[in-house]
Amino acid sequence: MEVILHLRQIINEFILQLESRHEQEDLEQEEQQHRQNIRNQEAILIHLMCEVVNLLHSGASSSLELQLPRLSLVSKGGAGSGQQAQSSREPDQLSHQLSDSKTAFISCYLSNRGIDFSALYQSNLQDFIAYKGDKYHEDKNTLGFINFGLSENKHCIDLLTERLSQSDMNYIDDDLLQYPDWKGHAFLREEVARFLTYYCKAPDLLDPGNVVVLNSSLSVFLTLTMVLCDPGDAFLIPTPLYSGFTLTSHLYSKVELIHIHLQSKMDTQTFQLIMDKLEKALLEAKFKGEKVRGLVLCNPNNSLGNIDTLDSLKEYLEFAKRHNLHVIIDETYMLSEFRASIPFHSVLNMKSLPDPNRTHVIWGTSKSFGISGFCFGTLYTHNKEVVSAVGAFGFLHGIAGLTQHKLCRLLQDGEWIDNVYLPTNRSRMQVAHRYITNKLKTMKVRFLSRGSGLYIWVNLKEYLDPCTFEEEQLFYRRFLDNKLLLAPGKAYMCKEPGWFRLTFTDKPFRLKVAMQRFSEALTHKKQNWIEKQLENALVESVSSPSTRRSSSSSSSSSSPSSSLSFSSSSFVNVDTSHF
Amino acid sequence: MDEYDEDKNPNGIINLGTSENKLCFDLLSSRLSQSDMLQVKPSLLQYPDWRGHLFLREEVARFLSFYCRSPAPLKPENVVVLNGCASLFSALATVLCEVGEAFLIPAPYYGAITQHVYLYGNVQLVCVYLDSEVTGLDTRPFQLTVEKLEVALQGANAEGVKVKGLILINPQNPLGDIYSPGELREYLEFAKRHELHVVVDEVYMLSVFEESLGYHSVLSLERLPDPQRTHVMWATSKAVFLLQDFGMSGLRFGTLYTENRDVATAVASLCRYHGLSGLVQHQVAQLLQDRDWINQVYLPENHARLKAAHAYVSGELRALGIPFLSRGAGFFIWVDLRKYLPKATFEEERLLWRRFLDKKVLLSFGKAFECKEPGWFRLVFSDKAHRLRLGMQRIRKVLTGTLRVAEDPPSSRTQEPRGQHI
Repeated sequence: MEVILHLRQIINEFILQLESRHEQEDLEQEEQQHRQNIRNQEAILIHLMCEVVNLLHSGASSSLELQLPRLSLVSKGGAGSGQQAQSSREPDQLSHQLSDSKTAFISCYLSNRGIDFSALYQSNLQDFIAYKGDKYHEDKNTLGFINFGLSENKHCIDLLTERLSQSDMNYIDDDLLQYPDWKGHAFLREEVARFLTYYCKAPDLLDPGNVVVLNSSLSVFLTLTMVLCDPGDAFLIPTPLYSGFTLTSHLYSKVELIHIHLQSKMDTQTFQLIMDKLEKALLEAKFKGEKVRGLVLCNPNNSLGNIDTLDSLKEYLEFAKRHNLHVIIDETYMLSEFRASIPFHSVLNMKSLPDPNRTHVIWGTSKSFGISGFCFGTLYTHNKEVVSAVGAFGFLHGIAGLTQHKLCRLLQDGEWIDNVYLPTNRSRMQVAHRYITNKLKTMKVRFLSRGSGLYIWVNLKEYLDPCTFEEEQLFYRRFLDNKLLLAPGKAYMCKEPGWFRLTFTDKPFRLKVAMQRFSEALTHKKQNWIEKQLENALVESVSSPSTRRSSSSSSSSSSPSSSLSFSSSSFVNVDTSHF
Repeated sequence: MDEYDEDKNPNGIINLGTSENKLCFDLLSSRLSQSDMLQVKPSLLQYPDWRGHLFLREEVARFLSFYCRSPAPLKPENVVVLNGCASLFSALATVLCEVGEAFLIPAPYYGAITQHVYLYGNVQLVCVYLDSEVTGLDTRPFQLTVEKLEVALQGANAEGVKVKGLILINPQNPLGDIYSPGELREYLEFAKRHELHVVVDEVYMLSVFEESLGYHSVLSLERLPDPQRTHVMWATSKAVFLLQDFGMSGLRFGTLYTENRDVATAVASLCRYHGLSGLVQHQVAQLLQDRDWINQVYLPENHARLKAAHAYVSGELRALGIPFLSRGAGFFIWVDLRKYLPKATFEEERLLWRRFLDKKVLLSFGKAFECKEPGWFRLVFSDKAHRLRLGMQRIRKVLTGTLRVAEDPPSSRTQEPRGQHI
C-alpha cells in the first residue's frame, strides 16, 4: 500500500512539473504542432504510468481512487488545428482520462461527462456485479456472496409478492395505456395524498395538486436539484449521508454538497445534528462565497437510522426559514421504525410549517415496502411552482400506467398494510435486529442501535491499525474475500474511518451465515494484528546491534532509489499474493 | 383537456395531433390480461441491474434480430433498457456530447426531441432543412440527401457549433418516409467521414402497413460503415410492436442497441434515473416472446386497421382536393394546407390551427416540427373509425369556410405509396 501511495505521489509531482512547464511554454511563441506532438507523448506516458499503478493497486484493492490533479494538457494546441477534428479530440480524451481517472476508464467515443459518469458507475458497481454473479443460496451456492451493503428490505418480499399477485392488480384500462399527465395519473396522486395524510398524521387533508410522482426517490431529488439550483450552488447536508445524494447532485445540476460532519464522540447523542453546527457550516460557506440554497435532511436517517424529534425538526425548519433556505426532507424510510423509543414524526405532521413554500418532502416505496425494483418516488410540496417545474421533467422519469395502477391499489389497501404488512415487517425486523445486535455484543463490537432503518452502524475502529480510510478499505476487501458485502463509512462521507453499515433486514438463515463470516473476518484481522505486533517486536529486538544490520542490508538487494523510502521489512508485509 | 368522448363529451376535441396508435387497445388489453402477465417474482421487486433485467435484454436481442433481420444474432450485452425514447435521447445526448454541442437532424422532425436532448443534456439540434420542392437530384419531396447534410454541417462549423452526431428517424416522423438501404448507407458513410455518431430511432419500425415498401432497419445492413458509432433506438411506445407500436405509450419502455461498450456503459450509468419497474420488464419480455400472437394476431390486425384508417383519411383528403404525403408507414399523414394560408407565414399557420381547435379538432402544425415552410400539418389517423369521421367532418367545415388563395403548387401533388425505391 505504501508503495502505491508513493508511486502516486511521484506521478502527481511529475504532472505538476509538466503543468508548470506547459504554462511557461504557452507564454512563449513556439511551434504549436511540435508542442502538440510532445504533449501527446507526455499524455501517453502518464497514462501508462497510471495504468501500471492501477494494475499494482488492483491487486490490493480495486476500488480505491487514484486521485490526480486535473490536467489540461492540450487545450491551447488543439484550438489552432480546429479543422482536424480527429487529432484534437483524441488527446483531449486521453488527457481527461488521466486527470480524472477514478478507474482506468478510457474512451475516445464519449464526452468528458460521459466518461465521468461511466467511471463512477463502474467503480461503484464492481462489487455489486460480483455479488450478482455469485449470490448466496442455501442449497445451490453456499459459498456465494451475502449482501449486507445494500439497503434493501429482503425479509418481507414474500408478503409483497403475494399482495401484488392478487387479481385486483391486473386491471387494464385504455387510459392506463396512453400518454399520461407527466406528474402522474390523477388517481395515483390522489391516493398518495390520502396515504401520506394518514401515515404522516397530517392535520389537514393533503392536496393531490401538491404531489408529483416519478420513477424513484432519487429521480425526485435529481429534479429538485435542477429546479431549485443553478450549477455551482450548494446544499448543506449532514454526514454520514446516502451516497446516492452525492452521485446525483454531481450529475447534471452540479450542485455542491457541503458536508456537516457529525462526529461520534463530541455530541451528546451520537451523530446528532446540532444547531451550532448548522449555523457554523452556513457561516463558513458564506465566507467562502458559496451560494447555499438549501438544507437536505433525511428522516429517518439513511445510514444511521436516527429519527429526529419533532422539536429538532422544528428547529431545523426555523433555521432554514431565517436564512431563506429550501429544505429537502427525504422521508423514504418512513414506515421502517420497529421500536417506539423515539416515535417518528413527518414534517407533514406539523400544525403549520415555518416556510411551506420552501419545504419539500420526498417519499418512496422502495424502503417502506421493500420494493426497490418497483421504481416509484414522490414529491410533496406546497410550492406550486416547484410542482410544475418538477413535473416538466416527468417525461424523463415516467412510470408506466400499469405500474401506477398497481401502486394505487397497494397504497389504498389500508387494511392489508395495517393488519398484515406493518406488523409482520416490524416483528421480523425486531427479531433480526435482536439477533444481530446480540451477536455483535458477544463479539464485543460497538454499534449504534436505533429503532428504525434497515441497518446497523457498526464501529470497527479498534480493528484498524492505523485508523485510516485506507485501512477501512482494506478491511472492506477482507470482508469481500469472506464473501460478505458491507458498506464502508467512507462511501457515506463519514469523517471518521472505521464505521461500517450493515443491513440486517434479511432472512434468518442468511443472517446466520453472514454473522459467521463477519466473525471470521474479525478473528482473522485480530490474529493478523497480533502477528504483526509480534513481528515488529522481533525485528526491534534483533536490530539492536546496528553494525550487524548494515552489513546484512548491503548484501541484500534492497531498493536502489533513496527517494522510495520504504524499509524492506514493510515491503515484505504487503500481501504479494495478488502480484 | 376537453377530450372527445362519444357518450360523456360529444362536443369534446377530437385528437388527431398526438401520435398514438389507438386502434388496437382491445388486442393489447386482452393480451396483457393473460395469466403469464400477472406473474410476480421476488427478483422483479428488488434492486435490478439498472441496464435492464437479463431476461429482458436477451428477449430484446432475439426480437430485434428477427424483426430487423440482422445478418447475425444480436447480443444482449449490447442492449440497454430504460423508460422510454425520451430518456434514451437524453442519456445519449449527455454521454456523447459536451454542453452546447449538437446533433444534426433532418427537419421536419418530431419537435419534442429538442427538449429531450436539451433538458438535462444541454445539447442543441442543428436542422437539416428539407424542401417540399423536388429539385436537382431529389426524386421526392422532403428528401434527405448527403449534400444537404454536408451543407448543414459546414454551416454549423462556420458558426462554431460542434456537431457530434446525426439523428435519423426511420420510418420518419412526421413524414412517414422510409430510407432505402442505399440511402441509409450513404448517410452512415457521411457520418463516418466526419466521425459523427449516428443515432437511429426506429420506433415506428413495426408500423409499416404498406408491405410493398420494403422497410430496412439499420441493423439489417451487412456491414455498418462505423459500428462503434452507430446506435439504434427502439421503443414499444411507437413500435408497432411494443409500446407504441403496440399502442402502449403508457408502458414506458425504450431500448438502445449498440456495439459500442463504452456508450452502453455510459448510458447504463444514467439508467438509475430512468428505471423501469421489474414487473413491466417482465410483461414486455412476455409480449416480445410471443411471436405467435405478434405474427398471427397483432401485426396483421394492426396493419389492416392502419391501412383501412389511412385509406379512409386519404380518400377524404383527396375529395377535398388537399395534397398530402403518404408513404405507408407510421400513424400520420403530412398534409399540405399551404393554399389555405392567405400569407405564407407561420402566424397564418397558427391561426389556421386555432380555427381547427375552435371547431374541436386537434392537428399538429408544421412549425412544431421545425418545418421550413409554413402550411404543413400532421394528421394522425390511427384512431377509431367514428372518431376519424367526426374529425374529418370538422376539418372539412373549417377548410370549406376558408378561402383558398392559390392553385395547388405542382410539386406537392398527392403522393401515392411508393414502390421499391432504387
